[in-house]
Amino acid sequence: MDLLLQRVFDAVTNGSTYALLAVAMVLIFKATTLINFAQGEQAMLGAFVVLQLWDWGIPMWGAVVIGMCFSGILAAFLERTLIRKFDPTDHLPLVIITLGLFLVINAIAAIIWRFDPKSFPELFPSGNAFAINNVRLSWYTIFAFTSCVIVLFVLQTLLTKTKIGLAFRAVSSNIESSRLSGIKIGTTLQFGWALAAAAGTLGASIYAANPVLQIEPSMMLRALILSVTAAALGGLDSLWGALIGGLTIGFVQSVVVQYIPFIPNEMSLSAAVIVLLIVLIFRPSGVLGTRAVERV
Amino acid sequence: MAAKIHIQEGTATYRKYRIAMWTCFIISLLLVAFAYVDVGTISIGSNKYNLSLIRLDKAIAFTIAILGLQVVVGYTGQIALGQSFFFGTGAYLSAWLVADHSWPFLMTLLIVIPSCFLIGMVLGLPALRIRGLYLALLTFGLAAVFPSLVKLDKLYTYTGGAGGKLTSNYKFVAPSWLPFDEVAQGLQKIPFLGGYFGDGPLSDREESRMWKFILFSIIAAICFWLVSNLIQSRPGRAMRAIRDNETSAATSGINLAATKTLSFGVASALGGVGGVVYVAEIGIASPDDFSSLLAIYLIVGLVVGGVGTLSGALIGGLVYALIPDWASSTQSISFLPQRWLQGPTGSLILGLLLIILTLFLPGGVVTGWRRVKKRFFQIDSATS
Amino acid sequence: MRPPILRVEGLKATYGPVQVLSGIDFSVYHQEIVVVLGANGAGKTTTLRSISGMIETRGLIEFKQEEIGNLRPSDIVRRGIAHVPQGRGTFPELTVQENLRVGAFIRVDKDVNTDIDACYQNYPVLYERRTQMAGSLSGGEQQMLAVSRALMSRPQLLLMDEPSLGLAPKIVEDLFERFVVINRDYGTTMLIVEQNAQLALSIANRGYVLESGSISVQGTAENLAQNDAIRRAYLGA
Repeated sequence: MDLLLQRVFDAVTNGSTYALLAVAMVLIFKATTLINFAQGEQAMLGAFVVLQLWDWGIPMWGAVVIGMCFSGILAAFLERTLIRKFDPTDHLPLVIITLGLFLVINAIAAIIWRFDPKSFPELFPSGNAFAINNVRLSWYTIFAFTSCVIVLFVLQTLLTKTKIGLAFRAVSSNIESSRLSGIKIGTTLQFGWALAAAAGTLGASIYAANPVLQIEPSMMLRALILSVTAAALGGLDSLWGALIGGLTIGFVQSVVVQYIPFIPNEMSLSAAVIVLLIVLIFRPSGVLGTRAVERV
Repeated sequence: MAAKIHIQEGTATYRKYRIAMWTCFIISLLLVAFAYVDVGTISIGSNKYNLSLIRLDKAIAFTIAILGLQVVVGYTGQIALGQSFFFGTGAYLSAWLVADHSWPFLMTLLIVIPSCFLIGMVLGLPALRIRGLYLALLTFGLAAVFPSLVKLDKLYTYTGGAGGKLTSNYKFVAPSWLPFDEVAQGLQKIPFLGGYFGDGPLSDREESRMWKFILFSIIAAICFWLVSNLIQSRPGRAMRAIRDNETSAATSGINLAATKTLSFGVASALGGVGGVVYVAEIGIASPDDFSSLLAIYLIVGLVVGGVGTLSGALIGGLVYALIPDWASSTQSISFLPQRWLQGPTGSLILGLLLIILTLFLPGGVVTGWRRVKKRFFQIDSATS
Repeated sequence: MRPPILRVEGLKATYGPVQVLSGIDFSVYHQEIVVVLGANGAGKTTTLRSISGMIETRGLIEFKQEEIGNLRPSDIVRRGIAHVPQGRGTFPELTVQENLRVGAFIRVDKDVNTDIDACYQNYPVLYERRTQMAGSLSGGEQQMLAVSRALMSRPQLLLMDEPSLGLAPKIVEDLFERFVVINRDYGTTMLIVEQNAQLALSIANRGYVLESGSISVQGTAENLAQNDAIRRAYLGA
């Protein structure tokens, strides 16, 4: 029982970070029906920028904010120069571009910072909030989860209460009518990309701030697959779905996999992909999503 | 500007043109084989670049896999990102048969081809219900999962776990009646260039390599020939119709499910064949060679060569086999700080190529080449 | 006489390899209601989309005596043209209220809420459904919403593409009555593309008939209603 509870806490920890990356993917998918395969790498690059700034003496959370801004600006630049050149309904070239970005960003991060793992600043107080018997609930878990929920609330508010948020949702809903209403599509999408990148960077930073982990350039590949599954599970166009999806995947990883005897540990990634498979075949709109899926 | 040479399809001149082109190609292939049967080095500046039959064999393996991608992505328009899964499956299946059951490599193709075809068809079933990005997601997930699947403890006896499956006990022995030594010594007598073709008769190891290279090239040639026929047949036209507009294709009476399934099957089978060639060359099947990164790199090869072209597969295979290696061999370029050249410059270049080509030359290298060719040759169709 | 609020000369538009409009000329004067009739594929929708900037065209399009042919849709809206596309074009995932707000996107003044209230007065059913997602509204309600949304930008020229499509006759009648009221009370000029020729001509000042990308007949609404060819083709007489 203790072990189960501990595992549930682990699930919440991991799930929250997957959720943040999943949120980033959902943002872009909502507006453009594009899946940005480079999202993980953008987030990782942002986290490395944060690390570098901290190395140079900038206080932790300041570094995180600046890192998020950097990510956002870079993403806006990428959208303007690369993505906007293509017809949004033609998926193949766009997928290929994001794959190219995946390679390029990963390579640049590795060239600048090498592959040696480094220690990331501890963004949250270390130690445990409480420990009963063998169950430890660390401050990290509490803060990671809370940050995730806060980010979602902030995004929700941004999208529902601001003018640009309204524009973003309008573009997601009907792009032609948005044009006819005077909304500048390109600028609005750029905003979406920037927001997604910032959210992703925050997610990667929180992930890296885990006292038991270290940061290195290939950390996000696994996270990408897990968060894509989380996003699909929750519904590719639902923000809160991303949280549910993230927690579910975390849960599957930490709890389900442990308790079904014939699935060994290495399979946790495969378990996630199997979940993805099931979702895409039987309920492509996910748990909370609404978008009509491209069906044949 | 030089006048264009006009050639009419179907005439004797056209046939001669084709024969000339193919002969040039085969002769160049043989010359390259003999020149690089041992590791050849090109030196630019202070950098040494290796070229050898080993690399070229790998290129052939990738070419065949990319050929499969041409079928499913280039000609049928489905975004399938999981070719590394089938590449790996073919490799492991073959490795297991060779290592544990002493099959000759070529015979394993008899098992690998139908198995990969079937698996491809089965895994392609979801593709019948979802499209576009969802399919991309799914197939990418498959590719990502392959290394973990292969490392499962349950499968240890078949796959050798994280250490991989060794097949290096198998030796390719060239038939003695092939005149390798004679040709090699003949080439060595060529004035000026003779030195490139080595010294004296070929050693056993070199003969084995030559033989492998020729075998693999023949396999590749057969694959190209089969795919080329497939493209021009009725199912092939159906595939292209689906690529151009799926709804119109459906309303024209094309059986979407059957065509797509066929397409996935063929692509997967080709992936498997590529895997067999790969493991036959390097002698070991290890899990991390077949990760999702390989899937991405195969797409790079597809795009750089040219999506929807057959010869693009060849370019793509060469690009992936050579560029990352040559990039890491580049230790210094005069105007770049050395620091920049360490690290994964190979994937940087490939990623940049992917982006630049998609932006400016979506047809890949082959399209660019065809445009150049058009300046000098114009092939008129038989009816004009 | 005042120059026309909209003047189109030699307008050509292509859709891929097909030339849909082969050089048409027409004008719309201030506060007029002008109707465009024609069979499917004649180029009616293309005409409206040319004016609102949704497609690339050749030829002259002048609005308030300024060339707008090369502008982007977001700029054209800001000049004072609103376009209600075929099929309503509502934002299905946004609420009724949000749809109206999007309509007012280009405005920076403080009267947006007043206009929203006015819209609710005209269409009480929209007020009832103001927090519902637009996608859950009936066809007629969506059309009311679409027109209201277009009006939120306080346009001087309102383009409407087949507003009666798929709606019950009673609803269409109410809709068209409202158009007359809007035209009278706000002075909004209207260019309406319609299949329902009878009703359209009953509220219009003038009309044009498009056939295969050119204007075949034009005249006042009365003339057109009595024109034999039109009666046969569109009025079933």
